[in-house]
Amino acid sequence: MNELVAGQENPAAMPAGWSAPEFGSLYDEHSRAIYFLALRFLGDPQKAEDATHDVFLKAFRRLDQFRGEASIRTWLYRIAINHCQNLCQSWHNRHIHANSEDAVWETSPAKTDSPLRVLETKELGQHIQQTLDALSDEYRLLLLLVADEELSYDEIAALVGQTADAVRGKLHRARKAFAAHFEKTV
Amino acid sequence: MKQQIKLTPKQEHVAEHNAQAHAAKEFSNSDELLRFDAAQTIVPPEIAVRLQKSAGQIPPPPARSWWKNLFGG
Repeated sequence: MNELVAGQENPAAMPAGWSAPEFGSLYDEHSRAIYFLALRFLGDPQKAEDATHDVFLKAFRRLDQFRGEASIRTWLYRIAINHCQNLCQSWHNRHIHANSEDAVWETSPAKTDSPLRVLETKELGQHIQQTLDALSDEYRLLLLLVADEELSYDEIAALVGQTADAVRGKLHRARKAFAAHFEKTV
Repeated sequence: MKQQIKLTPKQEHVAEHNAQAHAAKEFSNSDELLRFDAAQTIVPPEIAVRLQKSAGQIPPPPARSWWKNLFGG
């Protein structure tokens, strides 16, 4: 990406505060995290591709609004989460049945501390997606954020607008629901 | 004495890929599983190309008018 953007014909078109190499490095460093969140949250590679493009374009336009209070990764996640949630709201799919099912999986005898075994990693992505699709948006988002080792509980809490303690409690239930669903898919 | 079979780099790559694809894996929890999944995820190169095009179409910020330069605001 660095080379691509650095080779741009009209660098003067960059918004104030941005330089081409800066934007290229930012994309290189964070695009996988943002794409992965979009892919597993939306469950569709094409939509994830569009969403990642839109998120970075928004960031490109709004860097002057980045106040440096959070890390750039957290800022990008905030844009990505808003974007993906807006897309989900406009589709009105998945929400209704997924939320009602969580309670069932939380009370089922699933083990969060027992290992998750898979025989083949070849189709692992599909199993993971099926599992995440069966969870509520809230659980799905929390699990995806906590999988990023660069984020602290406080940062996740700020991103989802809850306290760190609330996040810990919900994550415990989300992991349990994930484990129970995952066992059914493999 | 055991005779070692030499594989070409391509054969080695294929063997490694097959071994990975068919290996049984165990993850201690969902965090570890999702981290593995994230690490395997490849960002489509098309995004960077599209982004470059889109970013190139963003107009530069409007120039400040002379009176704002003079009087501030």
